[in-house]
Amino acid sequence: MQPQRPQRSEELLFALRSWRFLLFAVFLTVLALGSGSCTKKEGNLNLLVWEGYADPLFVRGFEEKHHCKITASYMGSSDELVAKLRGGSASNYDVISPSSDVATSIVNAGLAAPLDVSRFPAYAQLSPQLTSLPLVKANGKVYGVPFLWGPNPLLYDTTVFPEPPQSWAVLWDPKYKGKVSVWDDLSTPYMAAQILGFDRPDPAAIYNLTDEQLEAVKKKLLELKPNVRKMWTTGGELTNLFQNHEVVLAMGWPLMTTQLRKLNFPIGETIPQENTTGWIDHLMITARSENKELAEKFVEYMIEASSQKLATDVTGYAPANPGAANLMTAEQRKLLHLDDIDAYQKRIIFWENVPRRAKYNEMWNEVKAAQ
Amino acid sequence: MYSRAYKTIITLPPLVWVTLFLLVPYALLFAYSFWSVTPDQVVVHNWNLGNYAELLRTPVYLQVLFRSMRIALSVTILSLALGFPLAYYLSFHCHKHKSLIYQLVIIPLWVSYLVLAYAWKTILGSTGVLNTLLMYFHIVKEPVSFLLYSQFAVILTLVHIYTPFTFLPIYAALEQIPRHLIEASQDLGATPRQTFRKVIWPLSLPGVIAGATFAFVLSFGDFFSPLLIGGPGGIMISNVVYSVFGAAYNWPLGAAISFCMLVLVVALLQCAEHGERRWSFS
Repeated sequence: MQPQRPQRSEELLFALRSWRFLLFAVFLTVLALGSGSCTKKEGNLNLLVWEGYADPLFVRGFEEKHHCKITASYMGSSDELVAKLRGGSASNYDVISPSSDVATSIVNAGLAAPLDVSRFPAYAQLSPQLTSLPLVKANGKVYGVPFLWGPNPLLYDTTVFPEPPQSWAVLWDPKYKGKVSVWDDLSTPYMAAQILGFDRPDPAAIYNLTDEQLEAVKKKLLELKPNVRKMWTTGGELTNLFQNHEVVLAMGWPLMTTQLRKLNFPIGETIPQENTTGWIDHLMITARSENKELAEKFVEYMIEASSQKLATDVTGYAPANPGAANLMTAEQRKLLHLDDIDAYQKRIIFWENVPRRAKYNEMWNEVKAAQ
Repeated sequence: MYSRAYKTIITLPPLVWVTLFLLVPYALLFAYSFWSVTPDQVVVHNWNLGNYAELLRTPVYLQVLFRSMRIALSVTILSLALGFPLAYYLSFHCHKHKSLIYQLVIIPLWVSYLVLAYAWKTILGSTGVLNTLLMYFHIVKEPVSFLLYSQFAVILTLVHIYTPFTFLPIYAALEQIPRHLIEASQDLGATPRQTFRKVIWPLSLPGVIAGATFAFVLSFGDFFSPLLIGGPGGIMISNVVYSVFGAAYNWPLGAAISFCMLVLVVALLQCAEHGERRWSFS
């Protein structure tokens, strides 16, 4: 009798089978992980854009015309966009909408595809003030088209300020101790640099401050801190701060003005005499997109006057195509300052790539950490 | 007994999991902390200690690190001060509605963290529940502003969130204490205070240590409370890490800070484990 034998071989067989099974399981897992990037069917576009930039109001028209499906992911900040693109998921998206602060570094990192502007008939209609900027150009090629833009204006509670404040300096007024909110973003140091006059004669100098200038900005911001109730991080948060009467003054976006007006909150918006910073959001096609042709058509569609008008309706931001103004009511034109667009744009120093972003950030962290 | 194949199948998945999702990421984090980033924000693999030097040179990082530890310590002490009496009461003196009270205590664990933070916002705000009440009863004339957007609010919220975390292990430890030990202590003429000091407290120490570790480690790395309800000067170390990774695109420096945090936390966990083993009953 050999009772042990068959048992051993059975065991061996089982081991063998289980190894095969395991290999198979690993294979399946790899397949499942890999297919994440293969789910993009031809004829579909994946967007990674700001909230509101893929609203059904205007995207559906494109989907119907081209029989495709548009899937949008939203980003919470420029940082998140860059982190996702650099983190290796660049191939998951076809179209992105970086703001002008990170647009240049995305181009320099080779994450965006060069565009042949002759394939975008609407490109010629765009505001030359925007297309002439060097933000998304490198080696004589264009890597993005302007989509929407806007300022970072001073917002104020009109029950406290019957007249719009004239200067950003009002934020420092001891009368408004604990009644001010600023954006938890480098835009706040830019604003302090403007108050200190570092934007003269060259406005872009605020994006290239020296160490001494940064030190002065830091000092100025530290003086502001007793007045700051809360640094806001999302649009909804600032809207809330005004609504709950936590603050009466803030640096904000036109989006919050639109939101608060809808809620019948007495909000005012102004660009003080020192001017302000602002942003231009560009549409870009990622270098690794597999649907470049369809993406091109989508970008063209998005900068046509009719879609631009709808995008403006949704977001409250200004359209890059001035032709959109012709489709608006006189009131809407006035609200967006499109009736006097050249003068208005001149008051905005659009965000640029900040070569010493890490240094700026370190200073901003020091300001935030101080008690 | 168990065949080798069985053992392989049982051990392989956790091994793969730990390697893929813990060891490899930690190794990457460690490697990143020795690299550097060019002004064009490209990470270069030139091994150096620059990030750690920067960490020591720039006061802001250590300052925020110590502040986070201080906040975490306050949260730990307060959570213990709330969690221990609660667990003690429930374990020794509550008989009737024991399970009901138990459920009530751990309910905050089931509620999303963000909801809890937002709830405190509506309570502590200038037009919030508390200020409205205070003004209604003419206790104050102006809304009390230090309640919200301050370190006070951060600590309060964290204590609220992490008290169940300290409560649970302490309660488990107290429940495990054999009741005849307490009876023996009483039989031998110990006063209630002596029984507590010489029997209950030492036997509950493993639970206390586990609870304190939970509260400290979780609140040390907290990100949302300072962001949502912290004051303009109340950022914690996770907020700094976030901005260094994000706004500054300096992954190597962010990795260096994260690695220091990791070392601190692991060291603390080791001490806690050592303490738990030393004082554990049996």
